Amino acid sequence: MILGIDIGGTHTDAVCIDDHKIIATAKSATGDDLVRSILEVVHALGIDYSGISRIVLSTTLSTNAIIEKKYAPTGMIVSAGPGIDPRLYFLTDDFYLVEGAIDHRGREYIPVNQEQVKQIAGELKGKGIAGVGVVSKFSVRNSQHETMIRSIIEEDFENISMGHTMSGSLNFHRRLNTTYFNTAVMPVQSRFVGSVRRALRELGIHAPMLFLKADGGTYSSSAADRLPVETILSGPAASMMGAVALCRDLNTTTLVLDVGGTTTDIGILIDGVPILEPRGVNINGLETLVRGLKVVSVGAGGDSYVQVKGGTLCVGPQRHGPPAAMGGSAPTPMDAFAILGKFDSGDRDRARSAVSGIAQTLGREVDDVSREIISVMVDNIRTTALDFIDEVNSNPVYTIYEMLHPELVKPEQVMIIGGPARQLQPYIEEAFQLKCIVPDHAMVANALGAALARTTAQITMLADTQQRRMICPELDIEEEVPLSLSFEELKARGTAIIKENAAYLGLTDDVEISILEEQSFNMVRGFSTTGKNMRLKIQTRPGIIREWSSR
Amino acid sequence: MIKAKNRTGLIFFPAYDWEITPSHPERKERLLYTQDQVMEEGVLDIRGIREFKAGLASQEDINRAHFCVPDVASRITPSHNVSAGGCIEAARLVLEGVVDNAFALVRPPGHHAMRVVHGARGFCNINIEAVMIEWIRRHYPRIKKIAIVDTDCHHGDGTQDVYWHDPNVLYISIHQDGRTLYPGSGFPEEFGGPRAQGMTLNVPLPPKTSDAGMLYVMEHVILPVLDEFKPDLVINSAGQDNHYSDPITNMSFTAGGYARLNEMLRPDICVLEGGYSIEAALPYVNTGIILALAGVDYSYVREPDLDPSRIKEDSRVMDYIKRLSEKLLQLWHDRSSMQPPDGPYMERTRSIFYDTDGISETQKEVIRICEDCPGVFRINSHASTGYHILGIHVPWGACDECRDQAQNWFDYPDDYFYAVYLQDMDRDAYTVKVL
Ligand SMILES: [Zn+2]
Ligand SMILES: [Zn+2]
Repeated sequence: MILGIDIGGTHTDAVCIDDHKIIATAKSATGDDLVRSILEVVHALGIDYSGISRIVLSTTLSTNAIIEKKYAPTGMIVSAGPGIDPRLYFLTDDFYLVEGAIDHRGREYIPVNQEQVKQIAGELKGKGIAGVGVVSKFSVRNSQHETMIRSIIEEDFENISMGHTMSGSLNFHRRLNTTYFNTAVMPVQSRFVGSVRRALRELGIHAPMLFLKADGGTYSSSAADRLPVETILSGPAASMMGAVALCRDLNTTTLVLDVGGTTTDIGILIDGVPILEPRGVNINGLETLVRGLKVVSVGAGGDSYVQVKGGTLCVGPQRHGPPAAMGGSAPTPMDAFAILGKFDSGDRDRARSAVSGIAQTLGREVDDVSREIISVMVDNIRTTALDFIDEVNSNPVYTIYEMLHPELVKPEQVMIIGGPARQLQPYIEEAFQLKCIVPDHAMVANALGAALARTTAQITMLADTQQRRMICPELDIEEEVPLSLSFEELKARGTAIIKENAAYLGLTDDVEISILEEQSFNMVRGFSTTGKNMRLKIQTRPGIIREWSSR
Repeated sequence: MIKAKNRTGLIFFPAYDWEITPSHPERKERLLYTQDQVMEEGVLDIRGIREFKAGLASQEDINRAHFCVPDVASRITPSHNVSAGGCIEAARLVLEGVVDNAFALVRPPGHHAMRVVHGARGFCNINIEAVMIEWIRRHYPRIKKIAIVDTDCHHGDGTQDVYWHDPNVLYISIHQDGRTLYPGSGFPEEFGGPRAQGMTLNVPLPPKTSDAGMLYVMEHVILPVLDEFKPDLVINSAGQDNHYSDPITNMSFTAGGYARLNEMLRPDICVLEGGYSIEAALPYVNTGIILALAGVDYSYVREPDLDPSRIKEDSRVMDYIKRLSEKLLQLWHDRSSMQPPDGPYMERTRSIFYDTDGISETQKEVIRICEDCPGVFRINSHASTGYHILGIHVPWGACDECRDQAQNWFDYPDDYFYAVYLQDMDRDAYTVKVL
């Protein structure tokens, strides 16, 4: 049995799967104490715990900690050298700059000032700081400076994360943010994992625990202890993976709409894989290197507040409590559905009286206004979705081949999940002029997505044969390579490395390794070739575990 | 988080699958380290700076600026459609007000390509700035006067040629003195055609000129000239081979100098041209230029091996530059007193060498000296490839008499041409008659 739990902002959902079937689902309100919310929803499932073989959690824990700044003061020791003034990127007074510089090929040109590092470590300790992030510019080309700074300070601090282990991608600014947040949420995550594990043991659940990441994959709790920042924004990832699990024809490009109370999340599945944010996800307006799904959110949901502004009917983006039909006071799209006879569990009279105020202001019939509320909401979703598709299709490309053979994304169907999915289905179908499906279990798609997501990881391989060097920053691997190293040999080495380090990366056996990006350049100096510059990104693809997908 | 003062568009097209030959300076690797630096610095996360996808220039776009012999398809590869298309996209973003300025960081380059194209010269097949400018004039008639400031180390003889007779396009080039570097042209005496005197302005700088000399020229010649010309649009042909580390030139500019130049010039559009120090210069120069365009502090952008004392020009070089600047400014002020020659037509004959493709061409050009318009002209061109053609250019704002003359030249070819081409700007028509 597999247990999937999605702890959302308002609700916690759980789903239990056995033998390719959903055997139980449950929903409860999310409280302040997340451990208790988990126990409540597990209890509500009413299942026998002994058969549970895997538990996957999707939590808002680190997302909330970052957004609400609920973490202990965290220090940063940064070396940058020339370029954009690094101090412009510092988030707090606990960021310190040390001398040291590395260039784009990973060559050191200013050594780290070790005395300065010791002095800064002393200051940070004096401030009572226990966690420190270490970042240098171009550390993904040469991690020596970060490693050296760490070795100087490792006795002094409880939690230390290094920039190059967060991601192999270039972007010093994002590396700073990512390393800072990772270090900051490390204690939060490990405390949480500890309490959840204890609580589940008391129920007799001893199954391994996995966490859902922003990229729609999962990783082991030990990997999550090391890289908790990857769990940010796992909420939308849970929904998109739920859509993958529920999608019957994975060869069809699918636009996914996850309609919630306040917002609708929009994503796209191509060949059964959600598309990724190319440079990393943003949290609270700050860019990170965290690999995550490309999802856009629009302030239009079932509980969106409906009002008349300047003579026009507006839906959202705020929510003023539940729909009138459910005991609230403000008119919402769900009230419009209730009035039109499409929301039977709602109180139709309450809905009608909430919408009648608006109808009066506009001098129109209540039914007529109800239809318009829905059409305004659907139109908001449609406009955002079309802009989103445009944005995906206008991603720059860097080769003539890609310019001449553009692979444009064009959704062939829409899938709606979430609360008001059934009500919206005909309207969405009409607005998008596409087949629109509402799968079974659309209400618990998020928990299902968490339960069934495969483990994922990504590594970067860089070989500079002129310097006879090959590195994999995420795993801190540096090897000497011959001048004659071929691209195929590099790929083979990368595939082997990802397998050798599967446990450390948090992977289980159920992975599909694929090449995400590959580039190879001859390096010419003077008029002769002096080496090759080869770059690879190897991933295990996000997807659904075999136990389910082979059903 | 950094906020830029300006909204700056970046069209980055490194053409990672295009090269002249594997070991040529124009090879796949050329912009690789630039991309690394720009990505690592987080330039694209700066609020205000946005990257956009390049476009594709069409055959019609290219035919507004060139006579390709025998035709466009034979003279270019798709890489040229993209690099010219990238420039057009940069212009579109600026003219539609999506951004305040834009940088087309594209390759292959174009400033050695002349109006007649028999092959590649100085790594260039088509003139990407000229294709862009003619697209701008076609789609945005409000743009009347355009200035191009070419800061590549080589004289942009192609751009000079395309706009030689054009009174509305001011071409200013600063470059290493032609007596010491390809293509060997670009002297103050080259000052524009008979009806466009002063619309070409060449600033040949002595080898070893560094930032100080170049910025002196900016301040004392280029900015005053631009102030007087009052262009509707300023374009920087942003070649980067004046850098002290460039392997094929002898100048001493730095990344900081290039950034300062752009801060002073405030171009609407920058277009990458040459620059072949791909590891030691381009990553820093391009970062500097982008920051300067966006109005972000670039003062910490610096080459790792920079030693300002080693590259500073000596006082003799600086004295020479000061005298040259004075002479150029005088020449510019005297331009209106230079009378066009009498007589209905003016003729010039010249030989052109296509170094990249090893082609020789002889041209006989005839322009009608017209009181009412810039004047129709024809180019009788004969190349070592065997092609002999006549190209007739009817300029923007051509008068009826010039138009009649063009039609007459087109209808009654007076030589054994392979083909006659008629390029009519106002009518946006390009007619080819193969004989
Ligand atoms: Zn050049
Ligand atoms: Zn005329």
